Amino acid sequence: MEPAIVVDNISKRFRLEFNPPSSIKEAVLRLGRRQKRDFWVLRDISLNIEAGTFFGLTGHNGSGKSTLLRLIAGIHRPTSGVIRTKGRLSALLELGSGFHPDLTGRENVYLNGAMLGLSRRYMSQAMDEIIEFSGIGDYIDAPVKIYSSGMYVRLGFAVAVNVSPQILLVDEVVAVGDEKFQQKCLEQMNKLRESGATLLLVSHSASLIRQLCDTAGWLDHGRLRKVGDPSAVMDEYQEYTAQTEDTVLTARN
Amino acid sequence: MADISAKLTPAVRTSVTLIVNFAKRETKTLYKRSILGWLWSLIRPLSTVLIYSLVFGVIYRAAPPEILNCKTEPCKAESFALYLFSGLVIWNLFTAVVTGSMQWLKGVNELRKKVYFPTETAILGGAVSVFLQSLLEILVLAAIMIILGNISWTFVYLLWALVLAAMFGLGIGFVVSIFNARYRDIEYLMGILLNIAFFLVPIVFVPDMVPEEAYGLPVKALMNLNPITTIVGISHDAVYFLNTPSIYDMITSSAWAGAAFAVGLMYFRRRSMQISEEP
Repeated sequence: MEPAIVVDNISKRFRLEFNPPSSIKEAVLRLGRRQKRDFWVLRDISLNIEAGTFFGLTGHNGSGKSTLLRLIAGIHRPTSGVIRTKGRLSALLELGSGFHPDLTGRENVYLNGAMLGLSRRYMSQAMDEIIEFSGIGDYIDAPVKIYSSGMYVRLGFAVAVNVSPQILLVDEVVAVGDEKFQQKCLEQMNKLRESGATLLLVSHSASLIRQLCDTAGWLDHGRLRKVGDPSAVMDEYQEYTAQTEDTVLTARN
Repeated sequence: MADISAKLTPAVRTSVTLIVNFAKRETKTLYKRSILGWLWSLIRPLSTVLIYSLVFGVIYRAAPPEILNCKTEPCKAESFALYLFSGLVIWNLFTAVVTGSMQWLKGVNELRKKVYFPTETAILGGAVSVFLQSLLEILVLAAIMIILGNISWTFVYLLWALVLAAMFGLGIGFVVSIFNARYRDIEYLMGILLNIAFFLVPIVFVPDMVPEEAYGLPVKALMNLNPITTIVGISHDAVYFLNTPSIYDMITSSAWAGAAFAVGLMYFRRRSMQISEEP
């Protein structure tokens, strides 16, 4: 089977500048005396995700999970290496990914669709399903800036999963929303699985990854530490986490 | 419409859909919460015409440029205000695109950190929306000219001049919007530069009034080098003098506008990726 996502030996460097100049005057005055530091957020990552696979990615805060997701989504470019994806990619990376506050929910759905390369007509057909799924009701015609955070996420999720994506990238948003909505999300994920879609899910939840994913990966300080069966990977990850916590506690005492 | 879009490549289709969406958004939110709404698009340029024709036409008594092939006797369209208006539509579109570009990029900056989309579509969409406002302006201009009996088929050249002004403005807008994302000084600087540039283009004066040389500089030649001067000249010819613009002017200004647009877009595409990575 052909891989849906190919990550070929990529690294990502962020060049951060402490106290960057905010005006041209400052930039000229501080010429040559700028403090810049390089952060390698990801190092030599290679990963093939077969089409139809549900892949769970875990790791500590700051391990580079979200950055990897952004690279695959095309928001950032890798410093070195290549990323290839095959098929329509839909990403849900943050609360209300890609919504414009001044536009209504409905207008945002069209705008989101446009970003995925979907025509207005296609989105009109999907609209009812999206409104139904999100449970937003009449608020669909109100500007999204008045939405609650739950409504934001629900609408974002409804768009992401109802545009029949071939690749879906999700960053720990499933945990938001009430239980009923979470249940709906899981059902939708299973439907996606039947349609042969590929899922890349970033989560801290061991139970979610065990329940949903076929393969799991563990990112540790920008390196891919382990890839394989979800149970095995999550066991090792949890063991490692417990160990480091022990070390911290012992050191404190 | 659907048939055309089916023939385009997916990337182009995405860009076109996005440009349409951004243009709609810009048009929809522009005069939100205002009573007169899009009428402001007409009131603003008309007020400028009024002020300048008062100062230059009435106080300084600048003679309106003579229309040689005027159709009425005496020539009713021969007025300083109309000469001014026919140049001002070009200038207004040009500045709206340049200053707008910086705002349009700022407007999608947060969005761009969350989803990937070709960022230039936000600027192109904004440009489409201000272009449509310019069309409103030229409708008024056309109506006045029809009433005064000073209209001819040369008027269509004005549309081409508007396209060139927008393209030239986009070329500059693409570059300065990237600069502005880093240093907000650019916004203020551009405001001043555009104010100065306005008086370097024959809009409130007639090219014949400009001396060949001043302070040892060939000022007239320099003025004519400016592509905006040429584009404004095309507009004057098309709307006010009712002459067919010279082929030479059409070609050089098109080349300038096309080159500026292409270079600006290339630069923008290379740098816009980095903008979205900045905290």
